[in-house]
Amino acid sequence: MTPEPGRRRHVIDLDDVSAEEIEAILETTASMKEVLSREIKQVPALRGRNVVNMFYEESTRTRISFELAARALSANIVNFTARGSSVEKGESLVDTVRTLQALGADIIVIRHSQAGAPYLAAHHFRGAVINAGDGRHAHPTQALLDLFTIRERRGQIRDLNVVIVGDILHSRVARSNLWGLTRMGARVTLCAPPTLLGPAAYWRATWPEVVISHHFDTALADADVVMALRIQKERMQAGLLPSLREYSRAYALTPERLERLGAQTLIMHPGPMNEGVEIWPEAVVAPNAVIEEQVTNGVAVRMALLYRMAG
Amino acid sequence: MRYLIRNGTLVDPMHRTTTRSDLLVSNGLIEQLIVPSDTQRIADATAEVIDAQGCFIAPGFVDLHVQLREPGEEQKETIASGSMAAAAGGFTTICALPTSRPSHDSAAVIEHVRAIARREGRVRVELIGALTRGREGSALADMIELAEAGCVAFSDGGRTLADAGLMRHALAYAAALDLPVLVHCEEPRLSAGWAMHEGVVSTRLGLPGFPSAAEEAIIARDIALAEATGARLHICQVSSAGGVALIRAAKLRGVQVTADVTPHHLVLNEAWVLGSLGAPSHAGHPAWLDPTLLPPYAPATRVAPPLRTTEDNAALLAGLRDGTIDAIASGHTPQARVDKECEYALAAPGINALETALGLLMGLVRHGDLDLLSMITRLTEGPTRILGRTLGALQPGTAADLVIVDPEHAWRVDATRFISRGYGSPLHGQQLSGRVMLTMSAGRIAYQHAGFAPAHQL
Repeated sequence: MTPEPGRRRHVIDLDDVSAEEIEAILETTASMKEVLSREIKQVPALRGRNVVNMFYEESTRTRISFELAARALSANIVNFTARGSSVEKGESLVDTVRTLQALGADIIVIRHSQAGAPYLAAHHFRGAVINAGDGRHAHPTQALLDLFTIRERRGQIRDLNVVIVGDILHSRVARSNLWGLTRMGARVTLCAPPTLLGPAAYWRATWPEVVISHHFDTALADADVVMALRIQKERMQAGLLPSLREYSRAYALTPERLERLGAQTLIMHPGPMNEGVEIWPEAVVAPNAVIEEQVTNGVAVRMALLYRMAG
Repeated sequence: MRYLIRNGTLVDPMHRTTTRSDLLVSNGLIEQLIVPSDTQRIADATAEVIDAQGCFIAPGFVDLHVQLREPGEEQKETIASGSMAAAAGGFTTICALPTSRPSHDSAAVIEHVRAIARREGRVRVELIGALTRGREGSALADMIELAEAGCVAFSDGGRTLADAGLMRHALAYAAALDLPVLVHCEEPRLSAGWAMHEGVVSTRLGLPGFPSAAEEAIIARDIALAEATGARLHICQVSSAGGVALIRAAKLRGVQVTADVTPHHLVLNEAWVLGSLGAPSHAGHPAWLDPTLLPPYAPATRVAPPLRTTEDNAALLAGLRDGTIDAIASGHTPQARVDKECEYALAAPGINALETALGLLMGLVRHGDLDLLSMITRLTEGPTRILGRTLGALQPGTAADLVIVDPEHAWRVDATRFISRGYGSPLHGQQLSGRVMLTMSAGRIAYQHAGFAPAHQL
């Protein structure tokens, strides 16, 4: 899994991607974004390559984003969707991967509810594996599109204060962004109630510079970027939160908090959103909200990865 | 058959001595210890000679809890394969947890399993009775019947009896029967959905955690209940520093509590779940092992209780050295391939441990973390005492249950060639030093390492 210069085999997380390589991926992303702005949104780079979308967990947004990215590069793309994945045993994942290999798949894009599933797939597959989100573990393409969006809007990533707020403990987006943002020189604050975060020492052992906060208003004071994460209603049922209303008062991007943000402060959300819980409608449509741009940039980032891995 | 074991060093945990002595075995018993210089004079030519040059000879190891899977899950292990693996690991007595299907919860099942064990067992197989019917935690098993059928202890295997009231009653019964109760300590509400130890690595990998507090809460509860009932409580495979501290404090108060630890909980830790994502020279593992040989999220590292931290490793070792922890058990838990070749959190917990236990422990001895005599004591005298017996070993007239170990024998673990049928060894590919050359059970050779070709006439 050691990245070779210019060409890497798998993208499972950003933990093994250097700042230089991230930089290069973002450069390629900019070129791909240019392709997508043309009238004919297609180049022949991956003609004849077989890409399989293996989605063990439904995600319309990410699946379509990968599909459009593969098509824009002229690859053949096939969708495979397995439902009820939580009861699906690995035997079937391993078997499926081996079958796809026998069928001639070159690249597998895998989305799975179980952390680590892409490593298992990679272990049994001779081609390339791209992680499209695995359990609470990682979502590297989301982190890359976030980095691209931040850099495009702010001109840089280094030295920015980025506040990630929400269900950090259960978030693959938070983890991959931690790798990417810290590697690119940003200062990251994780903000959540204690039950959705866990002990600070557990985070600092891996990401020594990260700031852990339970107080959103303090964390917001000098934020350049605020990234809100979705709160699932199950967290309340599991006793992790007293109520969604209280959560919203303490941790949501409300109109009042919007007032206090700097005009340049970016508002981000990986989607899907729970409007009125972690983010209020006013924040979604604010001039410094870049939530739709994140989605748009996602296609270009995924093109860049596919191109760099197989182009 | 008579055997003369020559040129070895006897390690005697009862007298805490190591001596150069030859050993004459006949009719299943140790007949005589012989001063080496007298061997030529005393031994006659009818004995086969086993040359134990460079090796030590110890009483056969006693394993307080293994899962043999038979009856019911013979694809994972059988009494034949499990007891052969035990012999290869130096164990001459193994206690089978009631985790078979059906479980050991009636005299009829005990009779049935005992018959298989008599027929197919390569070493002594003792049976542990279920604490609750079907190990379901809702009603006591027929404990008197199980005791009369010869069970050596009670346990619900890898399940904590969540109902504290029922646990109290079970302990009261066990106290009256004067049999130990072996417990797995896990507060289910604190470990729900767990995949690994809750801490630094679970946070990085996004895996649900089994916090140390889930173990400590039940250890504390069961110590209180043992104190209240006078039962002999035995904590199986303690894994946390906090757990060791609770046991130490209880022993000081005079509570009848004992504990064991597995070699993997002593040596391995959460860094093994990181596998190749970890640094090759990670401070969190001994230099003589390399967890980066494993892929990330290797299901072979998933075990209950989970592998914890280097601090826990150190506390467990300290507990072993100061006697807080009485015994070392393999914790052998063979699994089927399909249950280990899958996503991490869905993998069945358990390590296939019998054939690597000694190699790991000898690593600790080699690196000065544990002395040889203490290691042997915790593998023999300790577990025997927990079963309420006295180890009479390596003395004339006692059963010839013994093991010959070459402490310098270097070998690479190849889990695909285990005698055990089960899957799940995190040590595949690791280099270990120290290996069992020969195991004798009741005077018969139960295992002999390929290449250790001893038998010739005097």
